[in-house]
Amino acid sequence: MAERKHMSMSTKRRIGNVASYVTLALISIIWILPFVFLLLRSFDVGNTGPSSAIFPEKFGFGNYIYLFTAGADFLKWYFNTFIIALVVCVVQTAMQFSMSYVLSRYRFKLRKFMMNFMLVLGMFPGFLTMIVLYQVLKTIGLTGANAVPGLILVYVASSGMGYYVSKGFLDTLPKSLDEAALVDGATRAQIFVRVILPLCKPILIYTVLTSFMGPWGDYVFAYTVSLGNEAGMNVAAGLNSWLAPNMINDHFAPFCAGGVVVAIPVMVLFLFLQKYYVEGVTGGAVKG
Amino acid sequence: MAEVIIKNVKKIYSGNVTAVHDFNLHIKDKEFIVFVGPSGCGKSTTLRMVAGLEDISEGTVSIDGEVVNDMQPKDRHISMVFQNYALYPHLTVYENMAFPLRLDKKQRVEPLSPTEVERAQKELEAARAAGNAAKVAKLEDELQNGRQQKGYTNDQIYDRVTSAAQVLGITQYLTRKPKALSGGQRQRVAIGRAMVKDCKVFLMDEPLSNLDAKLRNQMRAEIILLRKRINTTFIYVTHDQTEAMTLGDRIVCMKDGFIMQVGTPAELFDMPANLFVAQFVGAPMMNTVNCDLSREGDKYFVNPYGYKLPVDGEKGKALLERGVQSRPIILGMRPEHIQLARGKEGIPVTIQVNEMMGSEYHLHVTTEQGNKLIVRIPTISLTDEERNSMVNGTQINITFSGKAMHFFDPESEKNLLVDITNADAYELDADIIKHEQQEELPKAEKEE
Ligand SMILES: Nc1ncnc2c1ncn2[C@@H]1O[C@H](COP(=O)(O)OP(=O)(O)O)[C@@H](O)[C@H]1O
Ligand SMILES: [Mg+2]
Repeated sequence: MAERKHMSMSTKRRIGNVASYVTLALISIIWILPFVFLLLRSFDVGNTGPSSAIFPEKFGFGNYIYLFTAGADFLKWYFNTFIIALVVCVVQTAMQFSMSYVLSRYRFKLRKFMMNFMLVLGMFPGFLTMIVLYQVLKTIGLTGANAVPGLILVYVASSGMGYYVSKGFLDTLPKSLDEAALVDGATRAQIFVRVILPLCKPILIYTVLTSFMGPWGDYVFAYTVSLGNEAGMNVAAGLNSWLAPNMINDHFAPFCAGGVVVAIPVMVLFLFLQKYYVEGVTGGAVKG
Repeated sequence: MAEVIIKNVKKIYSGNVTAVHDFNLHIKDKEFIVFVGPSGCGKSTTLRMVAGLEDISEGTVSIDGEVVNDMQPKDRHISMVFQNYALYPHLTVYENMAFPLRLDKKQRVEPLSPTEVERAQKELEAARAAGNAAKVAKLEDELQNGRQQKGYTNDQIYDRVTSAAQVLGITQYLTRKPKALSGGQRQRVAIGRAMVKDCKVFLMDEPLSNLDAKLRNQMRAEIILLRKRINTTFIYVTHDQTEAMTLGDRIVCMKDGFIMQVGTPAELFDMPANLFVAQFVGAPMMNTVNCDLSREGDKYFVNPYGYKLPVDGEKGKALLERGVQSRPIILGMRPEHIQLARGKEGIPVTIQVNEMMGSEYHLHVTTEQGNKLIVRIPTISLTDEERNSMVNGTQINITFSGKAMHFFDPESEKNLLVDITNADAYELDADIIKHEQQEELPKAEKEE
């Protein structure tokens, strides 16, 4: 009896396993296919227009060379994006951490209200404010060709609102560390720099990564603020302009190549910081 | 090395929780004071107000004659050891201990540290040999009077950290991170970090309560030695009465934010001001029973559990001196002051629980009326036969020694024979009067 029950159990489990593996494999294929497609198409120098063929007609690096020749605006877009992402990454990380530290360690009037208010505001999709932001930026002349500082302003302005992940982490650091440092003779600023920040390394790297990637991959705001002016576009908006009906016929393969080039710095950054990134996402639970 | 005067200090937390009511204490220079009491009685709050980690709602705290209410912790010349160690996880043990010294950038005249003395002496010899009179004079001056400097030199930091590490036996861990240390080692590092800088008051908030029992006993002994070495004013917080009794010069026993009694360990044990202190100090807890104190001429008797017992010795005299009349009381008897009555006389009780502690027996017994009490009997005072008969359900006879009885008022729970619970409160009042008189004098001069 027991024997047969055991066998039926293991058969059941085997069927279950097969089913879940098949499902997972399917999901993986669906997920990974676009990347493979993009990569392969980017090497097609035979047919540079839109095509559903996965394998290129003719292999070559022509599309990549095209990206970096003077004729294409790609370099300009790439540079724009890099500047925006770099500035935003630095400013946003600094602001988010100061904000989190204050919210975690100081007690002041309206603290709770402010935290909830920002949380609720953060729940609205950002592009709801797009029209207003566009009008404001236009008034002060930061649209079109001047979109880069305009975009930096837009991304940085709300950076304090992303406080909750890092505040959550700071909350797990015992307050007695701050107190011990106070007694040892540290000022608040010294505590922040010499005690708290070194302990925040994982979450700091997580913040750096996310604040770099936000503007790096943004399309909606960048497209709106640059509004068709190629000088002010970032890569996403710029590359998208290659998909316009009059461009797509000879720009689809370069578009794919552009996509690959855009992914490279993020990939490098990830590989480089991977160890810390994983720690950062889970590290909050473990006391430092 | 300083007096700490805590005067009429009150702490009201937001939400109107009064954690400390009118706290008065005059801590003398180099005194070891212990705050003891059950959890939540306001010990930590009071300590943290002295440290400057908590605002003082009312009253003043002064250290070395200076009111520190509005002073940052770093300006109060205090060191503190926290219950959870609060070591900096990213720094090595050495850097943890060096941290307060590295932060201190004050201008000071500092005597040369041993390493520096050694080097200066070599240089001095060389300078003398070379006939460099200016250098000789400078080195001689430094060796004798110390050096004018900002903060501490690396050599001084090294010498201080390594000598503290040696005292605490953590030299071999100096390069480790706190994560790689056991609880006891971490606590040593925390004490070391507090030790390296010169402080006027050394504060400790339950430093041993995260350690296991054996380590706690060991560290307690080490703190006594440490105290001799550091030789400064200590305030030590604990909920453990054994720690309080063994460490304190004086103990401040607290309950619900009030001081119940201030006194030496012996005073608290022999003359508890009230029922709370009587039961908090000493283990197992003092036995109590409601009964009557009766006066017959110059003699006093009590009638616990329906048995009439005489009050004799000092206690009887003290009652007589105060002219106490017959009245209802709560009678207190410490478990160690109850004896086995080997004859027929005595109060018959039945053993419910028998705890063999090695050197003594703790017997939980009930009287014929069902009153529970605890009796402590040294193992050495028992014959083998008696030891074997100390089993649950056995009936034994016990007697109280009349000279070790405590009498409390059933309503106020105050000890009938102890008047003052905090002599400091009176002393401080006198201080205030002195102070006010002094302040008036210069004013009068100005008017002239
Ligand atoms: N930050 C705070 N806010 C409000 N109440 C507090 C705070 N800290 C402590 N208390 C209250 O003050 C009382 C005394 O606390 P504490 O000094 O920590 O006690 P102890 O150290 O004697 O255990 C407790 O009732 C506690 O709940
Ligand atoms: Mg406490």
